[in-house]
Amino acid sequence: MNKRRSLIFSIVRGLAAILIALAVATLLIYICAEGDTAADKGAQTLSALHQLLVGPAFRSNGALSTKNLCDILAAMIPITFTGLATCVMFSANQFNLGAEGGIMLGAFTSALCAIYLPLPGGILPLVSVLAGAAIVAAMMLIPAVLKTRLGVSEMVCSLMLNYVVMYIIKYLLNSHLADKSKGQIQTYEFQSQSLIPQMVNNGSKLSWGFAIALAFVVLTALFMYRTRWGYAIRMIGINKDFAMYSGIKVGGVIVLSQVLGGMLAGMGGGLEMLGRYNTYSWSALPGYGWTGITVAILAGNNPIFVPLAAFFMAYLDKGCSLMSTYSNVPSQLIDIIQAVIFLFFAAEQFLSHYRQKLVVKSTQEEMKLKEAAASAAEGSAK
Amino acid sequence: MLLKMIFTSDFFFSVLRITAPILLATLAAVIGEKAGVSNIGLEGIMMISALFGSLTAYWSGSWAVGVLVALLFGILVSLMMGFFAFNLKTDIILTGIAVNMIGSGGTLFLVKVITNSTEGKALASTTSLITKSLQIPSWNIPLIKNIPVVGDILSGHCILTYIAFLLVFLTWVLLYRTPLGLNIRSVGENPNAAASVGVSVLKIKYIAIAIGGALSGLGGAFMSMYYAMGWSQDMVAGRGFIALAAQAMGAGEPLGAMLSALVFGFAQALGIKVSATGVDSNLVSPIPYLVTILGLVVFALVVRRRIRRQHSSAALQETASDK
Repeated sequence: MNKRRSLIFSIVRGLAAILIALAVATLLIYICAEGDTAADKGAQTLSALHQLLVGPAFRSNGALSTKNLCDILAAMIPITFTGLATCVMFSANQFNLGAEGGIMLGAFTSALCAIYLPLPGGILPLVSVLAGAAIVAAMMLIPAVLKTRLGVSEMVCSLMLNYVVMYIIKYLLNSHLADKSKGQIQTYEFQSQSLIPQMVNNGSKLSWGFAIALAFVVLTALFMYRTRWGYAIRMIGINKDFAMYSGIKVGGVIVLSQVLGGMLAGMGGGLEMLGRYNTYSWSALPGYGWTGITVAILAGNNPIFVPLAAFFMAYLDKGCSLMSTYSNVPSQLIDIIQAVIFLFFAAEQFLSHYRQKLVVKSTQEEMKLKEAAASAAEGSAK
Repeated sequence: MLLKMIFTSDFFFSVLRITAPILLATLAAVIGEKAGVSNIGLEGIMMISALFGSLTAYWSGSWAVGVLVALLFGILVSLMMGFFAFNLKTDIILTGIAVNMIGSGGTLFLVKVITNSTEGKALASTTSLITKSLQIPSWNIPLIKNIPVVGDILSGHCILTYIAFLLVFLTWVLLYRTPLGLNIRSVGENPNAAASVGVSVLKIKYIAIAIGGALSGLGGAFMSMYYAMGWSQDMVAGRGFIALAAQAMGAGEPLGAMLSALVFGFAQALGIKVSATGVDSNLVSPIPYLVTILGLVVFALVVRRRIRRQHSSAALQETASDK
């Protein structure tokens, strides 16, 4: 199958998955809608769908809503990082699900640095974010080394670590670090020089962390596709035995992929914390890790497509929260949409008949071309 | 003194109570792994069936109907997983992650929608719906309940707790004493060989994942209709994941899995007991998860040692026969 056809196929397949998810969403919204007649419910469903799909981009008068768009871009920061982290780890076939705990630990570490380290502006945010990245990279050593040394499932181990991280942070927050003068449980405020400056000042919390996220998309893509290490990671994901026999140090590379994943997740947590908040108050796992897995699946584990997938997820998320404020559809609809897209996107055999048709068509064309060339050669020989 | 305070018959009673839902999910993981299906969606299945179990118990006014519906939902969700994983060839791990997404966020969506439409107000949980009379009843074992310490520990549990421990034996029988069990094991060990003698690999995998779904459905019912009075967000709290670890630690055998599930039950009961003495509960809550990681490490070390010993004894025999 030629390149153009396989591109068309992936686009059609992606759109079909999204359409199915939207159909499921429409059905659920229709069930939620209040109204006595079917027409009533239909009208409500339409207005809710309008909020979900168009609301994030346009205001009701049809003008482009810059504030909402900035919100969406800001929401992309953490899920771009967890998406990248998941890309790197899944590329090596390591189903490490620790990005969830990782981003929380990174955010917490960066927050502590931002509160307590006596450093000048410029250096403090840098040190804080790097400290978050380093700690999470170290945390990921646990599942990675246990996997390569003892064959312990990195998936179960990282899932357990998520809970351990969450409870320990909750403990530290409640008992030692809480600012007791505040009504809710939170730390003291960050030092003002630790905050990451905003790109636009419209209250959307779109910080320069967004630019850093895009830079890391490029860096991760270069790493995965233009360096020896990235090649080794992908090769292990494709065929571990082949990679081993061709002289790649499989154990080391598996550890590397998870440590890098942890670093990216931790960095995302730090940037999100210092770019959006001025005090730490997360007391539960934030969910960015799971969204990051969806982002990585949508991007086909290719870092370059991560921003696109992250934008899509952030857009839908914003749409769902708009919809829940203007209608009685709960915003958790996003989880169901996400799961449905996820399932169809990752399904290898989804639309396989269509793929088969395309392959047959391409081959027939190729054979015709060859026959034509052969008969032309015969003709010239005569 | 402290030990005496902790290890009361009450404590051992709570170990069994806490173990039961983990055990049900662990057995689901055992049967799945035997058929070569690593089902990480157990967590989500438990959440979903916990929700629908408690809702139908409320609507029907009968706990038995609730348990049955929870079981049915477990089977339904697992069959859906099977459709994606086996027919559409979605990676089984990703399928599980998707089910867990529905289990954590989707259930909250459903509970808001459903209770809103029936109750006229938005509830984020069903805790007010399950009353004492809708709880799965307990059972005092005749004769045994009169034995001093043993009776306090073993008698008076929820019926599902007894069923859970009974199912350990039944799972063993299923796997090792029935034709279906033989098929499940052969499909898990070598699907090609199984297919070559006429076993339908697809069918066996569907059966295995559905049995797992039924078991974790029961686990979900236990959570929302006995352990807690009603469904609330994230109430399963990683028990589905702990079950995966217990399966690995128990070497994938029903009895071993039961023992490791008991270890987690013990760790959690200990945590609850310790936090009752005034220690911050957030400090003891991670203990079961840490024990899980430690348990996996110890298990891996033991396996490695056993393999080494086998290798070395084989080598010794070889050299002996050479002479």
